[in-house]
Amino acid sequence: MTNTLAKPTGNVSVDTSELSSAGLTRTRRNILSGIGEPVALLGALVVLIAIFSALNPRFATITNLQNVLNQASLPIIIGVGATLVILIGSIDLSVEGVMAASGVAFVLMSANTRGGQDMGIWAFIVPLALGIVLGAANGLIYTLLKVPSFIVTLGMWFIGFGIATILYGTDAYPELTNETLTQWAAKIELGLPNVFWLAAALVIVAALVLRYTRFGRAALAIGNNEDIARANGMPVRKHKVTTFIIAGALSGLAGILATMQMGGTSNHIGEGYLFLTLPAVVIGGTALSGGKGGVLRTFLGVILLTVLNNGLVLAGVSPNFQSALSGAILVVAIVAAAWSQRGRLRIAK
Amino acid sequence: MTQETSQATTPTLRLTDVRKSFGPVDALKGVSLYIKKGEVIGLIGENGAGKSTLLKILTGIYQPDGGTIEVNGRVTKFRGPRDASAAGIGVVHQEQSLFTNLTVAENIAMNAGGHRTGTRFGFYDWRALNKAASETLEIIGSKLNPKTRVGDLSFVDRQMVEIARAIRTDTSKGGSPLVILDEPTSLLERGETAVLEREIRKLKSFGSVIFVSHRLDEIMRNCDRILVMRNGELVADRVTESVTEDELFKLMVGHASHASKSVRKPVDPKATPILEVYGLSRKGKYQDVSLAAHAGRVTAIVGTSGSGREEVSRAIFGAEKFDSGTIRLDGSEVRGWRIPKAVRKGLGFVPSERKVEGMVGGYSAAENIVLTNPGKAAVGPIVLPWKRNKIAQDWFTTLDVRPNDIGLELDRFSGGNQQKVVLAKWLNDPELRVLVLDHPLRGLDPGAAETVNEQIKKAVANGAAVVLLADTLEEALDMGDEILVMRDGAVTARYDMTVDDPSTLDLLERMV
Repeated sequence: MTNTLAKPTGNVSVDTSELSSAGLTRTRRNILSGIGEPVALLGALVVLIAIFSALNPRFATITNLQNVLNQASLPIIIGVGATLVILIGSIDLSVEGVMAASGVAFVLMSANTRGGQDMGIWAFIVPLALGIVLGAANGLIYTLLKVPSFIVTLGMWFIGFGIATILYGTDAYPELTNETLTQWAAKIELGLPNVFWLAAALVIVAALVLRYTRFGRAALAIGNNEDIARANGMPVRKHKVTTFIIAGALSGLAGILATMQMGGTSNHIGEGYLFLTLPAVVIGGTALSGGKGGVLRTFLGVILLTVLNNGLVLAGVSPNFQSALSGAILVVAIVAAAWSQRGRLRIAK
Repeated sequence: MTQETSQATTPTLRLTDVRKSFGPVDALKGVSLYIKKGEVIGLIGENGAGKSTLLKILTGIYQPDGGTIEVNGRVTKFRGPRDASAAGIGVVHQEQSLFTNLTVAENIAMNAGGHRTGTRFGFYDWRALNKAASETLEIIGSKLNPKTRVGDLSFVDRQMVEIARAIRTDTSKGGSPLVILDEPTSLLERGETAVLEREIRKLKSFGSVIFVSHRLDEIMRNCDRILVMRNGELVADRVTESVTEDELFKLMVGHASHASKSVRKPVDPKATPILEVYGLSRKGKYQDVSLAAHAGRVTAIVGTSGSGREEVSRAIFGAEKFDSGTIRLDGSEVRGWRIPKAVRKGLGFVPSERKVEGMVGGYSAAENIVLTNPGKAAVGPIVLPWKRNKIAQDWFTTLDVRPNDIGLELDRFSGGNQQKVVLAKWLNDPELRVLVLDHPLRGLDPGAAETVNEQIKKAVANGAAVVLLADTLEEALDMGDEILVMRDGAVTARYDMTVDDPSTLDLLERMV
């Protein structure tokens, strides 16, 4: 037995060096494939822009660019939270409900056409706190009672919507009377709308957090394998609750900003945002199974979808067809985005 | 039972009367042991003997119901994995536990307990992190790039990362790392195992090792002292020189091994093989592979992990495409060869990735057994539960599946017992012609391995042809009627075992 082994041991040392060099070449290839996806996304964006520019000269103007970025900002802000949640393999469907609750709270606490008192800074703090509380409730119910996040947040969507409906009551549509508030979002600063600068700043902060902090790396680790994360002594539950709180706060912020953009609000303020943001996250390349992706990808995904919607309007596509058409393009885009990962999907759960 | 030698130094770890029960089941009935610095301890026992529970207590995943744990002479309580890791105990798991989407350096740092180089106030300093990882990798003599994503590494390289993570503890307090290797070789090829064994010898110089394995020869080769567990108790503590493999087997199982040597029949030259493979090729994987599987014979394929034998076996079962070549069944070529067709024609496949490909973990064991071939349990498309349960119960008795509960979800059985069920699924087909076995004994304890091998031999005796990718060369030599050696995708040698008598060395020379 010992004799038979003596020889292979000699050979094997050669083997290891081969293995590690193979590891290196594989890494290099992987870096390329890592860039490949965003490049494909950018390519698709360029193609879309080219087509729409050809269809309508008004598409490729500074004004329209500002318009597109203005429209994209809220989905980007929501998308940052959604990405953090999806990275850990969970999902947050409560966005629209939280937006509604915070939006209505915001308008009623600011100077508005219904009268009431202008609470100044509290008009911002309270709606944000509402988002944080609803997000924390999501996270705590999800982790402590071990209910799937899909169900918890679906419920929280309607709880938020219910809060908004109660706050809203039956009075007339409240409009903000302070013009500084209503004009802030779309106001151009250094060539781009304020609200876009805010969204971009959040994306950059989130990207840095994901790359350079323990919290960010833990998100990827938990998304990759929760059991291993737990066995390594990572605070999985705390991380999840924190993530849902961040997502709730961002939804709350989006509710405030949406109200400022609209100049007023109803309990329906959040409608449509979730179903723009989630596909954008997926198109960006963040895996719904968790552990892979990032906020910069989500940023690109949102821009792509916003350009698509904006371009269809400018191209004069009838609103009757628009919804079906953007749905179809969405499916094609997702298939194309997921194409490179077919192999990986086969091994996945 | 336990004869403790006089100890000049305090042991790295000492357990006294550690007990743990789950409901009415006593998993550990008072285990006492010690491990000194520089020792390699072998821990063996059948599935269900309490090894896993013991390891989970050592790593802080379970808390013992009673007894004490001393680390370097101090009584310690592990409230969680973090405490164990801070105390210098690291594990290399059987099923690897690395984050495949993170880098080597991050994975190594992940388990560093309270002391973490590379992060400050929750912020990463990538340069420091990579440097620390390189230093740790250097200790174990690995040249891996810390920036590589773990998902891009080979299996054995990942194991090096796991070892690096396990030893990365704070040695400044005078402690020394204790590395637990939990069946680290069960998924490794022979050459890779040698790398690991060299690593164990290196670990001895600055720490101690608990080596858990089902392979008694490995245990004998690598360990200074061997602990045997049975039914939640430590039944033996022996110095390696004073014990033999047969004795260990007896201590583990409670009875002597009764595995019989296979009787080999020569092939009838006129008989058509059930399955023939001619010039099978797949670009980058294997080229021009031919083999013939005869009724009542085992064709064993040996080779290292890059040899292409896995891919060939999968192609035979229709699980992977091939570029050129033909597969013939009973002398006629098959077309559109995919798994459903292969199964209809009487092929069975026991995959190496049992949990992913071989079973539906959420289904009961009974449902798994009748999954592909309901046999007598089905009337037309309907599976009758009472007939299914009868069939399942028969298999459970034949294969000695434990616990004897056919209604239990398959996920909740131990690996060895899962494998028995996976095998029963194919054996349940009365029309079984060809059984392709990819590492059928992977991760099985000797008792379970013996049962599985008996069943394979029985299927062969009943006229099935078996294509076997064995875990070890000894297993291939023991089971195979014909042995094919593959290297880099090509067949480098064939042995007809009725005529030839190759040694493991002969096989190795043609493998590497």
